[in-house]
Amino acid sequence: TMACRTVCQLLQRRLASSAASVRLSAAEERGRRSAVFSREQARQRSLYPRTEKIEVTLQIPGLQGTLLVMNKGLSTPHSCARHLTEWYVTSSALALVDGKPWSLHQPLTQSCSLSLLAFKDTDPLLVNQAYWRSCAALLGQVLQDAFKEDFSVELLRLPEVLVTSGAFCCDVVLDPQLDAWNPSEESLRSLTRGAQQLIHRDLPWEPLEVAPPVALEVFSHSRCKQEEVEEKSAQSPKGTVILYRCGDHVLLSGGPLVARTGLCSQYEVTAIHRLGEGKWGLHRRAQGLSLPLQQQVRVEVPTGSTNEAISDTLTPPSAPEQTPPQQ
Amino acid sequence: MAAWTCRHLLYRGARVLAGRTGAVAAADSCLFQSVRTVKTTTWWEEHLTEDNKSYMRKSLGEEYNRQIAAKLHPLKDEPWPRQEWTKGLVAVKLGMAPVWTKTGERHVVTMLQVQDCHVLNYLSKEEYDGHTAALMVGGKNASPFYKTDEEMEMFRLAGVPPKQKVTTFKVSDNAIIKPGTPLYAAHFRPGQYVDVTAKTIGKGFQGVMKRYGFKGQPASHGQTKTHRRPGASGPGGDPAKVFKGKKMPGMMGNVFDTAHGLKVWRVNTRYNVIYVHGSVPGHKNCLLKVRDTNLPTYVEKNINPPFPTFFCEEDEQLPEDLYDEDLFIHTQPSLTL
Repeated sequence: TMACRTVCQLLQRRLASSAASVRLSAAEERGRRSAVFSREQARQRSLYPRTEKIEVTLQIPGLQGTLLVMNKGLSTPHSCARHLTEWYVTSSALALVDGKPWSLHQPLTQSCSLSLLAFKDTDPLLVNQAYWRSCAALLGQVLQDAFKEDFSVELLRLPEVLVTSGAFCCDVVLDPQLDAWNPSEESLRSLTRGAQQLIHRDLPWEPLEVAPPVALEVFSHSRCKQEEVEEKSAQSPKGTVILYRCGDHVLLSGGPLVARTGLCSQYEVTAIHRLGEGKWGLHRRAQGLSLPLQQQVRVEVPTGSTNEAISDTLTPPSAPEQTPPQQ
Repeated sequence: MAAWTCRHLLYRGARVLAGRTGAVAAADSCLFQSVRTVKTTTWWEEHLTEDNKSYMRKSLGEEYNRQIAAKLHPLKDEPWPRQEWTKGLVAVKLGMAPVWTKTGERHVVTMLQVQDCHVLNYLSKEEYDGHTAALMVGGKNASPFYKTDEEMEMFRLAGVPPKQKVTTFKVSDNAIIKPGTPLYAAHFRPGQYVDVTAKTIGKGFQGVMKRYGFKGQPASHGQTKTHRRPGASGPGGDPAKVFKGKKMPGMMGNVFDTAHGLKVWRVNTRYNVIYVHGSVPGHKNCLLKVRDTNLPTYVEKNINPPFPTFFCEEDEQLPEDLYDEDLFIHTQPSLTL
């Protein structure tokens, strides 16, 4: 009968969930990934037991050719900026090491030329791309933490979206129980509030270059992340994968991210669209809008918030699989 | 669903049938026994023990409730349940304009625009003053550089930019709104009555004629140096003193004053403007506190409005202008044949 059938279904789900409850809760999973990251970070730092010096030549307008003597494997472009003035520390978002984009907190391993990029440079293309990527990564982190413990959230690969398309996005697959759920204005506001709290904590995005086995261990409970690790290691020239950690959330990214969450401001989550059934379930794309701290905008709008006025009716960007010029 | 049929048999003695439906009472005293007659299908508690049965009963109900609730609110940050609340807003005084009723009478209205009004905080009865709960509402975004750290903390918790004016509204205990919700002009509808509180225009140190409307003295016919003075200051010899609170010259204006019982004539939803009857204290572009009336004649009308409280996403698109039924809409033809 009807009652019997529903009870059987519930019992099955109970049994199934008890079998999968060997899977950790979201908070424990985050802690585990962060622990593996810290362990690997400590191991990589211990590869340089004796401090060796490297010479870093600065290529900053006004300080051309300045030579800094830094520690190998320990100093980052951030520490180089700290040798200059506070303005460089607060305004630098990305570094160029020998012409290649380099995260501000990634250690330098050999003598090189360094230039610090800010948002107000004459050619901010790389910085803008990195900023857009970081905002998408932040959105992924917020989505991962925002749902209740009963619901699983699976972050997919962050699509590379051009800054000019109007919004950054993050693809996510939610628990099958939420297939009928559509986010209301209230939920978008809660997500925005979560993102603003993360921004206020001003957490740095710590990069770590790891070998694929370590990355696979970090994401051992997530099949789609493991596939992404394998793809990225196949594409990269050295066969390594760069992981980023913000707070206790470990993520993969298609390119360098900016230095800290505090550089973002006017962050707002604008919409969550459905993309249809995909490989891992119902794919959803969350969109957001944000501006850097140094480039805030005041928009006079009669009703609604400033960002929503701009990206309220934005349709999801179609097939944004374009990769930026350099990785 | 198969129909459950039971034959109720009357039993004498201690014979107990192996029946599993219904209440199988103690053998000795039971007179009625239920016998299962439909033996084709099973039911959910057939193979469960007593403890398991009671556990499943309890937990099934809980699970259903959780699923229904969770489907609507899967985020950790749950939305608060919507309730009726005495409305309150922070608005900006724009200016005044004339309106005409359908019968041809001319009135003046003040236009109040609701700019970036958000609920900032909810204080329960215990936190506020022990008698009523309070809701803190802020209006009109302002610069964060001139706000203290404690104020910025409150704005950050609510997830809103810092506001120029923060007011507290006393609300009933169950009328709570989640901090961070935006408030719009459409919360008020034409036909409602509001009280508007604002700081009056400061006039500085003023004499008694302007301040209290004393008559003063004549300009001529022998007055020596006495044209705008207060004159006598009290009864005379019996009290032999000047009573406390005697009206005398002093600072006038720049205090909070409330205009009570102002009718809302029109609401514009596009620009969030409320057209309110008569005049309102304060200069142009000053921030005001707009609240549902406390006057007894209008309080009953406001309690049961013909429309529910307005929350942005629930309502379908409201028309751009909402007019009171007595108001003459100036864009429509005045004479119809």
